[in-house]
Amino acid sequence: MQNHLAALNHGVMDRAPALYTIRIHGHLGTTMLSAFPAMASQRQGAETVLTGLLDRSALYGVLAEIEALGLDLVEVRQEFREA
Amino acid sequence: MTVAPATPRLIDRDDLLAALDRAAERKVTILSAPAGSGKTSLLRAWADGPGQPHRLAVVQVQRDQQDAQLFWLALLGAVRQASGTTSRAELPAATPDFNGQAMVDRVLSELAEHGGRVILVIDDLHELNSPEALAQLTRLLTNLPPHVHAVLATRRDLRLRLNQLRLAGELAEIRAADLRFTERETRELLQASGIALSEAGAALLQQRTEGWAAGLRLAAISLAGHPDPERFVAEFSGSNRTVAEYLITEMLERQPDHVQDLLLRTCLLDRVNGELADLLTGRPGSERILLELEDANAFVVSLDPERTWFRYHHLFGDLLRLELRRTLPEEVLALHRRAAEWFTQQGQVVDAIRHTQAAGDWPAAARLLADHSFSLMLDGQTQTIQALLRAFPPGAHADHPELALVRATVDVVQGRLAEAAAQLAVAESHVQTAPADRRRRLQVAIASLKLSLARRRGHLESVTEQVGFLAAPVTGQSGEDIALGNDLRAVALYNLGTVETWSPLGLEDAERHLQGGAVLAREIGRPYLEVSCLAQLGFASRIHSLATARRRCQEAITLADRHGWDAEPIIAPALVTLTGLMILMGDFGEGERWLHRAGQAVQTDTGPDIRQLLHMAAGMLHAGRGRHREAFEEFTAAERLQSQLAGSHTLASEVTGWALAAQARLGMVSEARATLAGLADEQANSGEIRNACAVICRAEGDPARALGALAGVLDGTAPVIGDVTVVEAQLLAGLAHRELGDQRAANQAAERALGLAEPDRLVLPFVMTGCRELLEALPRHETAHAALLTDILDVVHGSSLTAKDQSTLPQGEALSPSELRVLRYLPTNMSRPEIASELSVSVNTVNTHIRNIYAKLQARDRSSAVQRARELRLLSAGLTR
Repeated sequence: MQNHLAALNHGVMDRAPALYTIRIHGHLGTTMLSAFPAMASQRQGAETVLTGLLDRSALYGVLAEIEALGLDLVEVRQEFREA
Repeated sequence: MTVAPATPRLIDRDDLLAALDRAAERKVTILSAPAGSGKTSLLRAWADGPGQPHRLAVVQVQRDQQDAQLFWLALLGAVRQASGTTSRAELPAATPDFNGQAMVDRVLSELAEHGGRVILVIDDLHELNSPEALAQLTRLLTNLPPHVHAVLATRRDLRLRLNQLRLAGELAEIRAADLRFTERETRELLQASGIALSEAGAALLQQRTEGWAAGLRLAAISLAGHPDPERFVAEFSGSNRTVAEYLITEMLERQPDHVQDLLLRTCLLDRVNGELADLLTGRPGSERILLELEDANAFVVSLDPERTWFRYHHLFGDLLRLELRRTLPEEVLALHRRAAEWFTQQGQVVDAIRHTQAAGDWPAAARLLADHSFSLMLDGQTQTIQALLRAFPPGAHADHPELALVRATVDVVQGRLAEAAAQLAVAESHVQTAPADRRRRLQVAIASLKLSLARRRGHLESVTEQVGFLAAPVTGQSGEDIALGNDLRAVALYNLGTVETWSPLGLEDAERHLQGGAVLAREIGRPYLEVSCLAQLGFASRIHSLATARRRCQEAITLADRHGWDAEPIIAPALVTLTGLMILMGDFGEGERWLHRAGQAVQTDTGPDIRQLLHMAAGMLHAGRGRHREAFEEFTAAERLQSQLAGSHTLASEVTGWALAAQARLGMVSEARATLAGLADEQANSGEIRNACAVICRAEGDPARALGALAGVLDGTAPVIGDVTVVEAQLLAGLAHRELGDQRAANQAAERALGLAEPDRLVLPFVMTGCRELLEALPRHETAHAALLTDILDVVHGSSLTAKDQSTLPQGEALSPSELRVLRYLPTNMSRPEIASELSVSVNTVNTHIRNIYAKLQARDRSSAVQRARELRLLSAGLTR
């Protein structure tokens, strides 16, 4: 899965990492959170917000993980891009 | 030991089953929903449902499947099992040169052939990470026969180009929202699992899980043994944690410690059995626990009917892995290492390499892969090798020069010859730094690859260099060393024999080496190599004996068919040789059919050697049908390919000779003469070129000079490729004698030609040389080959002999050898007593034989028996006996 998505990126200049917030429905416990070591987490109401500086393949890796774990994805947003 | 006291059962989801029934009226159904939505369970329930008139072919795509061939073999296997044709052929084995297009055609034709209603189910299609396989699958789906329906289950929408089907209304979709459990279904599920829960509790559970199947199943497992189910649901409902994590943690915590430990320590494996689980947990009894978990429907499923191998539900496995990394982080690498050791001992190399890589032991992984890439390649797992190569971290190739050998192996198979040579050079420059115990193995692997490369390039000289090296066995006592040694030796014999086949001097060695290779390949259980050797052997035998060549080609083709390799490049030498033989025997219709099949088989192989043979056979076919222009074009194309091969090859003079003759017959006499004059003496002296010279002389109106050119062929002083050349020379001489007015010499030459042609039924030279008048002038009573003469005249008059050999007679109806002997006299004017005296038997015996012949051929009288015998090709001693 991760290989596949990463492979899709070949030939595209990987842009500089950007800050992403990813909103997931439900509270992620320690086990689930360990799947996203590169991201900080925060609970907001019934949701969990993951934030992290990701380049494109890291982002797809995180999305693949969310899919594999059957998590309920609410929102993905790019906050700002580093120069 | 308790896993769960009650087993949550699947419930009938009638609405969904009905939706699937409706969808099955179209061509393709896509079941697209996230992990744990109950796709697989639904499909199983639907398949097991009453009154399903169809047969079901189920393919489960392996996790992260990057090997298109493995996917297709699984699919073909499922189709064969479903259509009940497993007895017809063994399941095709993987081959180093997989032809995906041919595979799709094969699946389509087997589905079409079956005729009955078949449902093809492909589960976990999102795991198929091969763009090539997805493209081929698209073609399969858009071309399914009307009685076949396909169901694709996937976690996410795939890039299958099915717009055409969608527009045609042939695509049905069932999505996550459709799969959600309703409140009623939730209650039914709980009841079926023996859980007493209030209506409100069930509603709460349904809301909290949003009808997510995996969530409900997990909840049911925990609820089944729970002292206070209502409280469980209330707590669950009050929690904000994600459904999967909450429930899996709950379920795990309710398991005894040793079960939890087993789950955690084995979750790194794609599949696990009792022995391996015992090893990883350090405790016996794992198999029983795994069986109980499966019985409890606790996200463990067995993979085989004997229930020895198991895997975890993907989502469950993923969460277990997270839990393992969190709770026992220091164990992860050790577990991978121990698993790798176990798989290595079991000879399961791919799993061993994967776990060695996961353990981060890159040098060991590179060593394992280098040691086994050769046998993996022979097992047809080239794409798997590539996937393993990709798993090394960037820069690993510089750190592990042994990987150059692996890359070279892949490059050779996939025809990137220049890249292969470059990788081999790298591998060679590092081999001296390898430890002594492995150096020899690596050297042998390198030598063998060089040999393959030389074979592909047709370089005889560089082959002989490698041979001496390979003659010495691989040292080392382990079974692995011996197996590798045998693999390498068999491949070396194949490559060597193949190159020798093309060399005028190497033919005898070629037959010996290919035979040795075939025997060894059979002994070591490498049918792919055996077929390769036999197919090449069929071609190699062509020079010495056409009958042997025909028999060997048929053997090779039968074996290839049995393994499902009837369209693979390896069988092409046998196909194209057999094609040539059919055409030589005047069977143009059959020859054309085989030519087409041979053409299919070389689609993925552009080697000049085989394509040259293909052009040659096509040229022969045209020449036989009197189409000299097309014949000339094909022979010329064959000659052009000749120039791409290093060194001159066995059939070079035949190609050139026939090209020249076709050119002269086209009326381009002076051009042909000019080309002839430009040939080197050695070639011009060959029987084939002398024949061409005679054709040119006759076209120039100089039959006497033609006879002069033929003298060397007729008296045996000129080198010839085989009887075909001599038969042709006799016929050309007969024609020249006729033109010179010497009918007696013409008749003698024709009779000699018939005598030489009889054993192998060489009809083509008679047709090519335009001998009709020569043959018609030959008095019947003067020939001992009346039957063959009749057949040849049939062909000359334009009716290709239709191929039917004796095998088309009903079972038990084959003529005995003595009946065949009598049969051959039936077309003559001889009476029964005359036949009896000719055969030195009594008239009664002849009468008995003739009665049997009539009965077996279902003939009323002598002339209808002759007619039928001619159709069946029984009249002349042919190659069939």
